[in-house]
Amino acid sequence: MDPTILKILLKEVGDLTLDHIVLVAVSCGLAVLIGVGVGIAGTRHPATRRISVAIASVLQTIPSLALFGFLLPIPLIGGIGEHTAILCLVLYSLLPILRNTIVGIASVDLPVREAAVAMGMTDRQLLRLVELPLAAPTILAGIRIALVTNIGTAVIAAVIGAGGLGVLIFRGVASVNTMEILAGAIPAAILALLADGGMSLLERRMARP
Amino acid sequence: MSFAVERGETLVLLGQSGSGKTTALRLINRMLDPTGGTICLEGRDISGLDPIELRRSIGYVIQDFGLMPHWTVEENVALVPRLRGWDAERQRRRTQELLEQVGLDHGAIAQRRPYELSGGQKQRVAVARALAGGPGLLLFDEPFGALDPVTRHEMQQQFLTLRKQYNVASVFVTHDLLEAMAIATRIAVLERGKLEALVSPSEFVLLRTPVARSFLDTLPEGLLNGRGC
Repeated sequence: MDPTILKILLKEVGDLTLDHIVLVAVSCGLAVLIGVGVGIAGTRHPATRRISVAIASVLQTIPSLALFGFLLPIPLIGGIGEHTAILCLVLYSLLPILRNTIVGIASVDLPVREAAVAMGMTDRQLLRLVELPLAAPTILAGIRIALVTNIGTAVIAAVIGAGGLGVLIFRGVASVNTMEILAGAIPAAILALLADGGMSLLERRMARP
Repeated sequence: MSFAVERGETLVLLGQSGSGKTTALRLINRMLDPTGGTICLEGRDISGLDPIELRRSIGYVIQDFGLMPHWTVEENVALVPRLRGWDAERQRRRTQELLEQVGLDHGAIAQRRPYELSGGQKQRVAVARALAGGPGLLLFDEPFGALDPVTRHEMQQQFLTLRKQYNVASVFVTHDLLEAMAIATRIAVLERGKLEALVSPSEFVLLRTPVARSFLDTLPEGLLNGRGC
């Protein structure tokens, strides 16, 4: 391959990888805020738990490409560009984070919870000092699933003009250019592996008694 | 159900499963609110007290220890002092004093986590934690039920020593008659949420109520006569 073309391609890969990371980081950050927040509320209010898990489960069943398509024509929140992709990725990441937050907090041993309340902890102290630290490994496992899935799903965001490594892959598919497909797919796979490894390390550290 | 417990006294709630022993404890520290009746602590109706402050002023020990698995022994014992905002040095001094009073070596154990302790050590830590805030009342919900007989006996003796030392009132739930006899100043026999009898340990053996008889039947034959009862 011509060195000039290679240089251009590498720069494009770098820029699109950065776009990809931003898409995933912003959407995952928002999903963590919403998923953990609603998950905590769900452990206090059964109705919130039922409704939120039902909604997140339905969202998860929609094929990702279709979800991007559904959001396109919706005024204000839809349209071409990054914001629609971020919204779609947030919706797609909610279920594992929400469900693991609820399960993690609900799995705290009953005697531990009972002793904490009986010794005079407020609900907020119970959450901050006992439930969240003990549920952290489970919540992190949910975030890990969401993050890794998101790195893959964000590839599809290219179809609605949100950038990211999907640009290279779709362009490579359209022009039957294997090099371009690999230039998009390999960094995406490396990102997913790094995210999985990093989160796994964090999970193990949190789970250590 | 109506009873009073004075400082230095241990009222044992004795009854079969489902008789309301644990419910009675949970009513006293407002983990549950009564549908009727009044509960007073040092002359004040507890329904008018802040439940959080009330619970911090009452020690609570349960069978499954309820130690925070992610905290060290020292942090577990200092739970109520920490919630009350004591400074770190005061918390440390209090923890050291209490761990030694319950027969544990502060230097060797303070930085360990609950999973590194034996059942007996865990329950000693739980007792130390219950005493940490200087409570006027201690509630025990079958605290020694999961321990082996030797450790259980040691814990009962330790309980008697601490009761004398702190002159604290205690309500103690058990379904073990021998344990009740060993530590009670009075025994309340509960049956389906009702107080069937309120007697001293020596009077208990004379009871003829069905529940009392069923507990007495659990004793080895000849034990009461051998004790001169």
